[in-house]
Amino acid sequence: MALIKTGQPRTADAADQASLPRDLDALIGQLGQTDTGIRRQAARQLADFQGSVPALTRQLLRETEPSVREAIFVALTLIGNSAAVESLVTCLRSNDAAIRNEAIEAMKSLPNSVAPIMAGLLSDPDPDVRIFTVNVLESLRHPDVEQWLIDVISRDRHVNVCAAAVDLLGEVGTESAIGPLEALRKRFADVPYIGFASFLALKRIREA
Amino acid sequence: MADAIADITITDDDFLKFREFFYRKTGIHFEASKRYFVDKRLIERIEITGYNNFRNYFTFMRFQPSGEEIQALTNAMTVNETYFFREEYQFKCLVQSMLGEVLKYKKRGETIRIWSIPSSSGEEPYSIALYLSEYWPEIANWDVELVSSDIDTQILNKAREGKYSQRSVQNLPPTLLKKYFKKTASGDFQICDDLRGAVEFTRVNLSDPADTRGYRKFDVIFCRNLLIYFDDLSRKQAAEVIYEALNPGGFICLGHSESMSRITSLFKVRKFRDAIVYQKPEAQ
Repeated sequence: MALIKTGQPRTADAADQASLPRDLDALIGQLGQTDTGIRRQAARQLADFQGSVPALTRQLLRETEPSVREAIFVALTLIGNSAAVESLVTCLRSNDAAIRNEAIEAMKSLPNSVAPIMAGLLSDPDPDVRIFTVNVLESLRHPDVEQWLIDVISRDRHVNVCAAAVDLLGEVGTESAIGPLEALRKRFADVPYIGFASFLALKRIREA
Repeated sequence: MADAIADITITDDDFLKFREFFYRKTGIHFEASKRYFVDKRLIERIEITGYNNFRNYFTFMRFQPSGEEIQALTNAMTVNETYFFREEYQFKCLVQSMLGEVLKYKKRGETIRIWSIPSSSGEEPYSIALYLSEYWPEIANWDVELVSSDIDTQILNKAREGKYSQRSVQNLPPTLLKKYFKKTASGDFQICDDLRGAVEFTRVNLSDPADTRGYRKFDVIFCRNLLIYFDDLSRKQAAEVIYEALNPGGFICLGHSESMSRITSLFKVRKFRDAIVYQKPEAQ
């Protein structure tokens, strides 16, 4: 026995490859199979089909296998169209923390697709959704991030939403945020954390 | 302009802010002792991109839609070199711990399959071949197939040629250098034909499903210091490729500054005596 070379490093079963369907309906059908490997492969291939978002979303909300969930999230991120973003927003409202966190991570990767709905999300009636949206801004590569955060601290009435935004402004804020941060301190004068966080953010901006 | 450049300084707060951000993004943590290294490269990137202070540059780099600058900064912050027996503790872990577990699910007559990606100029896959030959007695009883891949066809040719500088082989024990290498007329060291012939080098782009679809049924994968160059989505895709490529119970070794746990929760963390590695769970 020894180190050997078979000359065939790519050893996926030919049958496996041949059995992979190439059309949308067949792949959607495979999302419902009991074999997790087949569901995972189908999810990955569905990333090539813009029209697969409704089926991926349905499966995501009932899927229990983490590896298939991850494959669906990656597929939705790769598709990245408005339907995929809507699907991720649906996940933000999930009671399942793992689903919500995956959705936040996925949305961070889609700055251009998320930007058009950002104002709407930051005005959502559910404060938790607004906080999760601020979490998306944490790593969103978009030039409007600071302005969105300023809008939040200028008008949001929920202290936890404002607190999340202030923390982030401490990292990315510029002189434009100074006035709104001072106004926020006055608006929440009876909340020690807001006083502390806005003081820290202002200090960092002024020392920059 | 020269005066403006000379004025760029990285304050303690800037360093801490950058260090935290870079760690979150890449898993690379800079100790305070690396301060000069980090400052020098940060100032270089600030100059090249035309900014005149850290804060403006940091905001630009962090929110640039294309992500090109963070990639350039990552390249500047990483030392892209390799050598024989780099991070040797993982090879020790391979022969003393991981392969023992692999044998538990292998049937007699089955081949153990190891994938090393990226191959770079071959130091890693040949180090694995050397380690197996020298320090794993079970090699007498099992066939091992060693595949190594890279996206760069030129570097693959270099790997197949197997010629190395004194610097590349400096960590090898003299006995192994003598046993497995011959000195060339130019003063380089060329690895012996037996080991050159033992590694299958292939071109693979880890981000291309068409390239990776066929890579399956590996028992151990070495993928060290590669994912640090990827963005978050690409890392997740790479993790999926690795997951599909491994047999249930197989192991994935990342670089010492990398963490699979920050990419995906699909793998189990395994703490062995010599190294922390990740394992694809056994089939349910």
